[in-house]
Amino acid sequence: MPSRVPSRVPADGEVVVRLTDVRKDFGDCTALDGVSLEIRAGEAVAVMGPSGSGKSTLLNLVSGLDRPSAGSVVVGGEDLGALGEKGLALFRRHRVGMVFQFFHLLDDLPALDNVALVGQLDGLGARAARQRATELLEGLGIADRGDVHPASLSGGERQRVAVARALMNRPALLLADEPTGALDTRSGEAVVELLTDLHALGQTLVLVTHDARLAERCASRVVEVVDGRIAGARAVRRDR
Amino acid sequence: MRAVWTASRAAVARRRLQTFVLAAVVLVCSATAVVTLGLMAAVSGPFDRVYNAANGAHVMAEFDSSKATAARIARTARASGVEASAGPYPVAVLRRPTDQGGPFGLPGVFTVVGRDRPDTAVDTMKVFSGRWATHPGEIVLDMPQGFGGARLIDQETHVLAPGGVDLKVVGYATSVSDSAGGWVTPAQARDLGAASTQMMYRFRDAGSQAALTADMAVVTAGLPSGSLTGTGSYLTLKEHLATGPNTYVPFLTGFGLLGLIAAVLIVGSVVSGAVVAGYRHIGVLKALGFTPDQVTAVYLVMVTVPAVIGCAVGAAVGSVLGTHLVRGAFWGISGNALVAGKASVPAWVYPVVLIGMPVLVVLSALLPAVKARRLPAARAISAGGVQQTGRAPAVQRRLGGSRLPRPVSLGLGWPFARPGRTALTLSTIVLGVTTATLAIGLAASVLTFDRTQEQQDSVQVTVAVGNPAAPSHPAGPVHTDEQLLAGLRALPGAAHVSADAPLQTRMAGSADAVRMDVRTGDTTALHPDLVRGRWVSGPGEVVADSTFWHQQGLSLGRRVVLRDAAGRQVVETVVGEQTDGWDLTSTDWNRFVGLNSTRRATEFSVGLAKGADAHAYAAAARRLDPGLRPSLNTGVGPIEQAVISVISTLALLLVGVSALGVFNAVVLSTRERRKDIGVLKAVGMTPRQVVAMVVTATAALGVAGGAVGVPAGMLAHRIVLPLIGHGTGRDLPASMLHVWDAPLLVLPALSGVALAVLGALLPSVRASRASAAEVLRTE
Repeated sequence: MPSRVPSRVPADGEVVVRLTDVRKDFGDCTALDGVSLEIRAGEAVAVMGPSGSGKSTLLNLVSGLDRPSAGSVVVGGEDLGALGEKGLALFRRHRVGMVFQFFHLLDDLPALDNVALVGQLDGLGARAARQRATELLEGLGIADRGDVHPASLSGGERQRVAVARALMNRPALLLADEPTGALDTRSGEAVVELLTDLHALGQTLVLVTHDARLAERCASRVVEVVDGRIAGARAVRRDR
Repeated sequence: MRAVWTASRAAVARRRLQTFVLAAVVLVCSATAVVTLGLMAAVSGPFDRVYNAANGAHVMAEFDSSKATAARIARTARASGVEASAGPYPVAVLRRPTDQGGPFGLPGVFTVVGRDRPDTAVDTMKVFSGRWATHPGEIVLDMPQGFGGARLIDQETHVLAPGGVDLKVVGYATSVSDSAGGWVTPAQARDLGAASTQMMYRFRDAGSQAALTADMAVVTAGLPSGSLTGTGSYLTLKEHLATGPNTYVPFLTGFGLLGLIAAVLIVGSVVSGAVVAGYRHIGVLKALGFTPDQVTAVYLVMVTVPAVIGCAVGAAVGSVLGTHLVRGAFWGISGNALVAGKASVPAWVYPVVLIGMPVLVVLSALLPAVKARRLPAARAISAGGVQQTGRAPAVQRRLGGSRLPRPVSLGLGWPFARPGRTALTLSTIVLGVTTATLAIGLAASVLTFDRTQEQQDSVQVTVAVGNPAAPSHPAGPVHTDEQLLAGLRALPGAAHVSADAPLQTRMAGSADAVRMDVRTGDTTALHPDLVRGRWVSGPGEVVADSTFWHQQGLSLGRRVVLRDAAGRQVVETVVGEQTDGWDLTSTDWNRFVGLNSTRRATEFSVGLAKGADAHAYAAAARRLDPGLRPSLNTGVGPIEQAVISVISTLALLLVGVSALGVFNAVVLSTRERRKDIGVLKAVGMTPRQVVAMVVTATAALGVAGGAVGVPAGMLAHRIVLPLIGHGTGRDLPASMLHVWDAPLLVLPALSGVALAVLGALLPSVRASRASAAEVLRTE
């Protein structure tokens, strides 16, 4: 579990993500069509739907990895459509943390440097960045694997490193795209617990999954996407 | 086979940029190979081709007309061993007055041959301007080498022969055998007092001087003793004419070798890189059921098709460029119109390049392709990415802890991930830097040589004197030489003034005319850059040109016997060796130019006081006498321009090839690291940071390449330049070798980084613009 709660947490209830009538086309194919969605600070939203429904596209738009063909995407008060490439890069660096299904760690770097990298890109000194990265890895229970390169880590360990990297710059919003999709059951379970704990600590979370169990355990709200449209949304009730 | 073709086409379509780079690299390398091989081959044997085409004389013999009649001499053409002959022609000797040097001919002695036609079986001549002399009173002058095609008739209209005979210039022609300074009708030659007879021979066996001597022994066997007064061998002429082109041989060989090494290295790097980058594709093909042979075939077809197209286009480009350069080389250096006009890239170069380059490409592709065909499909697929082997992880870890900006430290670690490709890229940069350094050094040496020859350090204004014998030139000056010297000295800004009078004389023990530059005035103020010895300090001393020095076997203190203006023998002491082009230079004006003439100088050299306005001085000189044509002593001569042009073109080609090699390496690297770049962008790396990372990776190699390439280029300059001197039969002043100073080294020192950045910029910008979302979706 991370030792520190992300520091850039907006006030509870504040709208962190606002999608208004968003459309995304890939050539002739429309991946998202007229999607409007609001996510408030402190929420954990699971975006669910069948393959090809547009879940990951939605996440890419929220993370600033992609731009909408129409409509607006506002995250943390920032209209992503108004940002240039550099602005989007800085947005990703400061406002969001991304966890991918296939981890996407840099094979060149040991686990510790994969995490520290994000801070160093922002001008943090090597020592301070490694210090923060070590703390994050300790919080995730893999501090002893810091010197190991990704190729020698297990799937679960890689995903924990990816989560640590996502948290490095204390993002307001943590985005996870099928975070357990490439993991065995045991490793997946550990990642679910990790995300649940992060949400419990106040981290706003958006995760894309078609794993209903994951959604039920991590999310406070589930949004259904079908054929590029929001098909429905429901609150998750759980006893904790 | 159809499957192979389909897969190859698909692979090419998917790798358009890489295919284009491959074709471009092969194109430039092929063009470079054609140019360098063409130049190297052309300079090594143009004389024989041109000489044979013009039926040049193997031996030019001169007989004493008083001892052998023309009829007897004519019968020598039937001697055994004679293949063809021309003559007998009567030979007269004229003296062109010192105030009547034409635009090309020097005042002094020259030979006139009575010849009724130019197109003879031996020494077939070409009339470049005007027509052949067909009537008494007409003369055709030898056109100086290097002025082919121009209409020159109005340049010099008359030659005044002894006895007041006025010969009208009706044409200019060139004899490949260098058989005379002018031609008149046979009757006219006899009227001019011809005392000897010229006969020209081509022999069946003319391979050596010994063979020619034996041939001549047979030819002269039936003639009275002492009738043969002199012979000229084509082998001597060949040696003389080859001096110019020989200038090119060392540095063309150097550039040629660099070019060929660059071509082999870069083509090898590009092709093998393309195959290695396609390992994943190879794995997929195998997984689909392609046999190992089919996989190899796919890759060979994939690289061979663009390579063949690039090679064909490159050979065509090289042909145009090579022919232009070869002609320019001979025009500028040998100055021989006949040689220059017929010079071209030899035919054998094309098949060598057209076959050799694709073979090189196939061999370069074959090694990695054969390796790939042995790999199991799964391993081939996984081998496509960047492998963490060797020292790369340790280096990256160390760099990660450094104080460098993270994009820079990440980029610095890249070269360690692919040591093989890094070595090839580095060698490409080293070649580029070496070439650039050598080219800059040679150009600086050539410019130094030109400045030395023109004495640009001590002479700022040259004032040419109009020639009344050449109507196209301004009228001659109204003042005498002495008045002009005094007048030019008195003009504001003048520090020293000297006068030049070029003339021709004879040296005892030498059959050739000696081209002499005689100076007067403030000659001690001149500071020519001497190879050895010192500048003349007064009468009785001469300084020799380096080429003449070696031809005559001169040494410091050596005494030479020359003919003075009155035809008397005078003894002069050689006190120095220089490189100004005149066989001998003297300051003994009265002895060699003569006391009686009032106007002999053809040019005045003016050194200005510090801070004086050269333009104002030139204007004042023009006002001093309407017959003066002042000009600033700046600029670069045509020979030097030709040399620098060839050097620059070859250097640009090689640097261009190197930049393409770097470009290709960066394209491959960014392609392999597509996922890494996508991830870095996803976690917040800005486009500029991506560019910085990619450029740093290559710039690091650029710095290393510069560190190796600059000393290598300087070393090559140190080796090549004396060879050039040796090729031209002259010593070079030390100033030509010691051209390197800090400002001159800045350019080559930066060229490694510049080359690397130039090659990396486009792919790095391309990588920075790639959509991270798309990359992460597809990887």
